[in-house]
Amino acid sequence: MNCQETKRHWDLYFDSEGDAELHFQINEHLNDCASCAEWFSKESRLESLIEDRLTTPRDDDASIEALPWNQILKAAGVMPVSKSRSWFSFGSAMLALAASLLLVLGFGWTAFNTNRTAIDSPSLSQLSGDVHRHVSSGSLRPEFESESDIEVDAYLLKRVSFPVRCPPRKDSGFHVSGAGMCDLAAQPAAYVIGSVAGEPISIFVLSEHSLTAFPQLRSELSRGQVFHCRESGQEIAMSVIDRNVVLVVGKVDRARLSHVLKSYGTYPHAS
Amino acid sequence: MAHLEPIQRQLTVYCARSLHQPNEASDVLQSAITVAFRDFDKYSEGTNFRAWLFRYVTLEILNRNRASQRLPKVLTEESQQLECRLDLASFRLETLLDDPEAVLDHCDDLVARCVWELTLQERNILLLRAIGDFKYREITEILEIPIGTVMGLLSRARSQLRDQLLQYAREHGLLSKGESA
Repeated sequence: MNCQETKRHWDLYFDSEGDAELHFQINEHLNDCASCAEWFSKESRLESLIEDRLTTPRDDDASIEALPWNQILKAAGVMPVSKSRSWFSFGSAMLALAASLLLVLGFGWTAFNTNRTAIDSPSLSQLSGDVHRHVSSGSLRPEFESESDIEVDAYLLKRVSFPVRCPPRKDSGFHVSGAGMCDLAAQPAAYVIGSVAGEPISIFVLSEHSLTAFPQLRSELSRGQVFHCRESGQEIAMSVIDRNVVLVVGKVDRARLSHVLKSYGTYPHAS
Repeated sequence: MAHLEPIQRQLTVYCARSLHQPNEASDVLQSAITVAFRDFDKYSEGTNFRAWLFRYVTLEILNRNRASQRLPKVLTEESQQLECRLDLASFRLETLLDDPEAVLDHCDDLVARCVWELTLQERNILLLRAIGDFKYREITEILEIPIGTVMGLLSRARSQLRDQLLQYAREHGLLSKGESA
């Protein structure tokens, strides 16, 4: 495949469409042609930024975030409408008031005794950020080292007990260098290490069930969108993809992290 | 209900980006979901629920935009001829490709506004791909058009969107380095 043919198929490659043979041929060409590899990387970056702008509402566009879904579903007849009886409402209100009072008293007593409950709940971003720092500084070596996507994919499939997908391809700008296993708040996690534009990047993959250990994240991630945060100078992007919680950690801009995140598991496993 | 929860945000953003009046999103979603659940017996459990529901929402958006008599630009015979990306166009795009944030960060809703310069089908395909994250095959089911048309119009939409961004950048002097007008 020559440069012109390769560029003509950029859309298919970026959208992970077309057959495996086409992707293989494009990958072969990109490995040999630095000019095309750079062109693909720039095109993909621009397109990811455009998609990001379309998907993420502006700060002042509150109407998108605040759409009354409960009302919509009730009006559409999908969600049952609760019966309104004034005496029932009054009784419920009184019961709720009494329960709230008991809860406040109980919570105050617990807080007085321990003062730690909410603060000490584990933060997935903090834990993954810590592991990333150790791995990128070289103080923690990954169990498996390879620059081949296919080999890392095979390692993950063999080692990880929960369903897991393959690492991103090179066209997302992610160059894989190894993988390993770790525990994050006693939850088993796989990590893939590599780099984007020379900056170390780690991808953490947990089973979706692991979210029970991180209750503060459940509401953020249940909406199926990419959630961004910062932890000790590291940018973190996370999302639920299939049955995995996937985090991408590194000191690069959000758009690049999002792109790596979206590229996670974008080709079928070799049979 | 369980099917709906994970896609609520995608539906909301898709509606807001596709409607002439984004504040009608709530009404449009309500109408589309009402009709979809009235037809729920036509949906086969285990098949693609997301694509099935997006079809209803897309049709409702079309009706709403028509009703407000603000029809989007119609795809003409001439404009249906797909254009290749010329070398010249690539050359002009170089500065945008080198530093896209310089343009995109300048105006938050620039991309959303440029999308409205596309034809109806181009816009539908681009938004279904970018916001709905649909595969080409799924878009053919939602819009009931051949896969070749999806591929061609998506490529064209992307190309035109970049031209729009480039034009905006030129008009606002955002691409001064090495960029001829």
